[in-house]
Amino acid sequence: MRAELPGLAGQRAYSIRGGPESLLRYILNRTLRSILTVVIVFVTVFMLLRFMPLNGYFTDEMLKVSDEQTRMAYLRNQGLLDPPFSQLWRFVKNLFAGDLGRSLTVYPKVPITILLCEKIPVTAAFGAASLVLGMTLGLLMGMFMARYKERLGDTLGTFYVVFVRAVPSLIYLFFIQVWVSGVLKLPLVFYEDRPESWILPTICLSLGSIAWYAIWLRRFMVDEENRDYVKFAMVKGLSKKYVLRRHLFKNAIIPIAIYLPSDILFIISGSLIIESLYAIPGTGGLLTKAIQKQDNNLVQVIVLMYAILSVLGVFLGDLLVAFVDPRIRLTEDEG
Amino acid sequence: MKRTVSLFLAIVLLASLACACQGPASDPGVQPTDGVPSGTGAGEAQPTPPEQAEPLEYVDLYKTYFTSEYPSLNYYTTVYGGVRGLAANCVEALVEPDEYGLYQPAMALSWESNEDCTVWTFHLREGVEWVDHQGNPTGMKVTAQDYVDAVRYVGDPLNGAYSLRVVRDLIEGLYDYYWGLDDIDSGTDTTTVRADLVASFDETVGVKALDEYTVQYTLSASAPYFLSLIEGSMLLLPCEYSYVTEMGEDFGIDNQHMLYCGAYYLSTFERDKKIVMTANPHYWDKDSVTIRSIEQQRLGDTMTTLEMFKRGEIDECVVESEEYSSLLGTEWEKYLAPNSFSSSTNYLWLDFGSDNPEFNAFIHNENFRKALQHSIDRESIAYLREPVTPSRLVRNTIIAETLIYDDRGVDYTDYPGLAEIKATDYYDAGKARAYMEAAVAELCDASGSILGVDAATVDMLPVAQFDVDGKLPVTLLYVGTDDEAEILMAQLLEVMIEEAIGADLIDVQLAFATGGFYSTVADPLNYDVYYDSLSVPYGDPGSQLSRLTSDGAENVGYYEVPEYDALIEQALMESDIQKRYALFAQAEAYLVNGAYVIPFISSLRGYYMTRIEPYTGPLMQFGSIKYKGMRVSAQILTADQLAAISSAYEEKKADRLSGN
Repeated sequence: MRAELPGLAGQRAYSIRGGPESLLRYILNRTLRSILTVVIVFVTVFMLLRFMPLNGYFTDEMLKVSDEQTRMAYLRNQGLLDPPFSQLWRFVKNLFAGDLGRSLTVYPKVPITILLCEKIPVTAAFGAASLVLGMTLGLLMGMFMARYKERLGDTLGTFYVVFVRAVPSLIYLFFIQVWVSGVLKLPLVFYEDRPESWILPTICLSLGSIAWYAIWLRRFMVDEENRDYVKFAMVKGLSKKYVLRRHLFKNAIIPIAIYLPSDILFIISGSLIIESLYAIPGTGGLLTKAIQKQDNNLVQVIVLMYAILSVLGVFLGDLLVAFVDPRIRLTEDEG
Repeated sequence: MKRTVSLFLAIVLLASLACACQGPASDPGVQPTDGVPSGTGAGEAQPTPPEQAEPLEYVDLYKTYFTSEYPSLNYYTTVYGGVRGLAANCVEALVEPDEYGLYQPAMALSWESNEDCTVWTFHLREGVEWVDHQGNPTGMKVTAQDYVDAVRYVGDPLNGAYSLRVVRDLIEGLYDYYWGLDDIDSGTDTTTVRADLVASFDETVGVKALDEYTVQYTLSASAPYFLSLIEGSMLLLPCEYSYVTEMGEDFGIDNQHMLYCGAYYLSTFERDKKIVMTANPHYWDKDSVTIRSIEQQRLGDTMTTLEMFKRGEIDECVVESEEYSSLLGTEWEKYLAPNSFSSSTNYLWLDFGSDNPEFNAFIHNENFRKALQHSIDRESIAYLREPVTPSRLVRNTIIAETLIYDDRGVDYTDYPGLAEIKATDYYDAGKARAYMEAAVAELCDASGSILGVDAATVDMLPVAQFDVDGKLPVTLLYVGTDDEAEILMAQLLEVMIEEAIGADLIDVQLAFATGGFYSTVADPLNYDVYYDSLSVPYGDPGSQLSRLTSDGAENVGYYEVPEYDALIEQALMESDIQKRYALFAQAEAYLVNGAYVIPFISSLRGYYMTRIEPYTGPLMQFGSIKYKGMRVSAQILTADQLAAISSAYEEKKADRLSGN
């Protein structure tokens, strides 16, 4: 869950309306910087992985049943004893040939492409459903809380937000899984061929984002309420409901919209706890597991993937917000 | 406008739910389960347990679960017990145990060995075919060459076989073949051509196809236990070499990239989610296969497992001690049956080369080790895992009881030397104190200073760092994992050792390590005492005891016991079972009586509830569970029913083992 929304103030003055040439220049500039960021992140992680102790490639059980010589033979055959730069070169070469390599320890010998193709669709389906649900309910709740500020609706909404963010999630997730599933006669775990088994995990996944969207929309709407244009609209005799919907919401949604591309792109990241509870075979916890088991090949692919998604998310967020809000300019003004 | 917004929101919500309810994108690794025979009732949700009925009715669908991963299915290289379990059911070994643990023909119709058990010859049944993941025959026959090729495959270091040591060191010539290839791969040997060495396999390695259906193993040492090694080791399962070579690194990455010749084939494999084993219609003994389909699904925790069992969605569940108490007094209590046996033993390992000078001065003293041995209240420790009858967990021997029998049906642990150890109640605070005082008299001066030990800072980082003053009390560092149950056990050990021996003579300090315990604690010797468990991989006391010699792989504390080593060497060369076991028993008794290692409890834990009728399938004591012949009841079996079945079985087993 995101902790804080940075303001847009202080950014360099850009405009997407500065003509196609300046926009192209901007996109090119950002793309090059993004590529550089991804390369730096990836190479750093790749090299750091090569400094990990060799015993990390083996489980306790493997260490017990094999001698040092056998272990070294295994590592050499996996190419893990080659110099780091030659490993890096091999990875890059294979990457451009469309080969992401094979998992070392988490799913031994399984091509990483197959793993990602198996896991990403499941996680993405849940992620997309929970994003839609989270945004819809979150924004509705945010509007509701702003409209009934400091009244019962607002208090209840605030209680929900505080509850979701303060109480350890395992407590209410277990409660939902065992008790709610029993009352509603829903399956305890996810089954691909039983649509009703998708409902609880989707709701669980969206609980956090509902709170996030609600609290931030409320905050921005309350901020906007004190602006002159709102007062003017009210003085003109427009109803509060109309002003809220037609003026306040449009302006308050802008700081939130910047995160939408990232949210969409990261629907593939999954949730470790929820996927584990509902036995969803997705990507949740894949990176953690790969790091724990020192599966260098898998770690470097996931890091590369997440690095690309991160820079792409920020980039698209900037573009989106500029499209939504004409006051924000992306390209530097001439003179 | 209000209507528009409402309509929009309604559409968004519906879209969200529709998205939630649709299945994931098609999975290339997943096979449809069409054609899987369905069960006849066990799968129906049952909010309340059914009343017991006689006689039992059976179903042909078994629904179970797994908690660890099935990351890939290459059974030669996997470290995962679950994968070995699949292989045991899907790839036929030469022999298999019956329900009493006596070996019966499987792929081999018959077999014989020479007098000293160094040459084993197996005559295979003809006409058995490999099938694919849909149960279709591939046209490839299972022959003696497949068993030879399995050794060829695991003997190549490039294939990374798991737990190879026993097989590699036992089959004549395989050790040299393996390391010869490794020398070439590592560049140590630049003169030999790899292809030449590979081609020499048939001449140099002691496994041969004498004809199409006769395979012979020549071993470098007497191995009267060889049949149990076949049961326990995946490395001796057959290998269709042309197929495996064609698959290359893809062999076993999912159910479509392997072949089957056992009682089942893998019809569905959804990684980290679901596995379905379906009865192989071309299996040589298909009439003995009573469960037509076994569905396994991944479940994350014991609470979910228990709830799934209650709702009738799985047919068996483990009940840990935490959940056990919550079921007492409920309708489920009558179904709670105690797990009855674990061949794995928990030991206290002692570091004979400790960096802690105080402990190092004492650990070589037998009186000190015996003081530790007598200070541990085994039942109190067992209580943490089994609060009802903790005494059944107590185990003083290294090799488990009721596991290995000689040709007269005598339990190995009843041999002279071990029988006394088995019957001893070691916990005795008085003896512990007396032994410690004797050790102190030998190792300390009158002022309580430990002879030859100065004050020092002990560096066992990243596990612990502490100061010792070279005086009594002796500082002992016990290291455990950060698992909640193990922390409790460590605290209990601390209290009982200090109370029995006396806090004026010993000071137990605790440290807890996270991550890989072996690589952080055991291997770099960052401990004075820690606990670990070991199980017996095949039916010979030497399978465990030979690993505990002074230069043995499991001697992580680096003790030196030449008397023990000599006895083990003698026993390993002995082919007469009774003489062999007598020597092993003598050796084991020497090690335990000298308290070089301190076995204290078995790894047994918890209870279970089940629909499986016990003892209806092969008794796999060293290998993974086999479902062939097992019967699944339509109803949950009560603890009383299970106890009655068990009692009748034990009587029959005793008769069978004694040859009646």
